[in-house]
Amino acid sequence: MDTKTLITEAKARFNHNSAKSQLKDKYDSKLIVADQGGLWKASPELIGFLASSTDEHVILIDNFENPVMVNRMSLHDVLSKAYDDAMNLWYSEWKELESKR
Amino acid sequence: MSRGVLLFAFNSPKYNYYEMAVATAKRVNHFLGLPVTIVTDSESLPAHQQYVFDNVILAPADKSNKRDWGVWINKGRYRAYELSPYDETILLDTDYMVNSDKLLKTFDLPTDFCCHDTTSFLMHPGAAQEMLSVYSFNTLWATVVMFRKTNRAKQIFECLEMVQNNFEHYANIHGFISVTFRNDYALTLATRITNGHTTPLEDVIPWNLVHVGKNTSVYRNSEDEYNTEYTVMFDNWQRGKIRKEYNIIKDTDFHVMNKENFMELIKYE
Repeated sequence: MDTKTLITEAKARFNHNSAKSQLKDKYDSKLIVADQGGLWKASPELIGFLASSTDEHVILIDNFENPVMVNRMSLHDVLSKAYDDAMNLWYSEWKELESKR
Repeated sequence: MSRGVLLFAFNSPKYNYYEMAVATAKRVNHFLGLPVTIVTDSESLPAHQQYVFDNVILAPADKSNKRDWGVWINKGRYRAYELSPYDETILLDTDYMVNSDKLLKTFDLPTDFCCHDTTSFLMHPGAAQEMLSVYSFNTLWATVVMFRKTNRAKQIFECLEMVQNNFEHYANIHGFISVTFRNDYALTLATRITNGHTTPLEDVIPWNLVHVGKNTSVYRNSEDEYNTEYTVMFDNWQRGKIRKEYNIIKDTDFHVMNKENFMELIKYE
C-alpha cells in the first residue's frame, strides 16, 4: 500500500504543528556554521552586525561562548550564503506542506 | 587525515543488527561518502556477505545485558576508541536512518568529541528532554558520537568503560534503574566525569537528535533504494479514541527506536 492510500484509508489528518516544529529543527541546524575557528548561527542580527561594522577584523563571542577574532567580510559572506540557502529551502518546503489537510 | 563511520552490530535472538548495519552502511556510503567499519562477532556474521565493509572487526559479544524483549548486546561501546581505524570517527547506532550529509558537519566542529544533548520526537513537538533521573542530569545520547584520536577523547572512552563496569554504583548515586545497561547514561556520566563534572558546550552537537518514538510509525514514500521522503503516522489518543495524524519529512536523519519499523524501512536497501 502506498503512503497516499494509507493516509486516505486511515483518515489521517496532517499535523501542522509537528510539520512546523520539524521544519524549524531541520533548518535551524542548517544555519549552524563552523568558520574561522568558531561556531556560528547565521542569524539576521549577526549578519547585520557584520555588514554594519567597518573594521577588517572583529572579535565575536561564538556559540561555544569563546571570543574569536574573525575576518569580518569573510564571515559575513559565509553566513549570508548559509542564511539565504536555508531560508529559501525552508520557505519552499513550508509552502508545500502548508496546503495539506 | 582518515575519516569513517564505526558501527557496533551484535545480533540478538530477536533482532538482526548485522542486517541493520548493512543498510545503514550503504546509506553512509551514499550520503556521507565515508567508509564504514563494523564491530561484530562471528555469530552475527552471515555465511555470505553481500556488502563489503571497509573493515570487519570481530569482538566478543557481552550478553549480560537484558531488556524486556530479551538479550541486548550493547556493552563494549567504550572500545570504539581503540578499535576505530580512523583519525576522525563517527560512532553511529545501527538504527540511525541517514538521509542527508548533515553528519559531515560534525567534522567541522572545533572539538575532539561531541554527541547530542537534546532530542526532538517526530510528531511530539516540545516533548520533555530525558534525564538520568529527576535528581540528576539531562541525558547525553550515544546514538551519534564524533571523536578524534586525542588524549581527551581516549579518556572519555576509558571512563565509559569504568562507568559500564560500575553501572549499579552510578545508578545508586544518580537514582536510575540499573537493570538494563544504557550507553546513553554511561556516556553522560563518563563525559561529565572527564570534564570535571560539567558538560562543555564543545561536547554537544549543536542540533537536535531526531527520534521516532512510541505510537509513531514511519513509511517510505517510495521504494527507491536511497529514498529520503517519508510519511510519519501517529496515533493521537484523545478521549479514549485514536485520531490518526501524519506529517511528511524529507532529507532528515532520524533514529528509529522501534526496531520492527526500522527493519520495514530498510527492506528495499
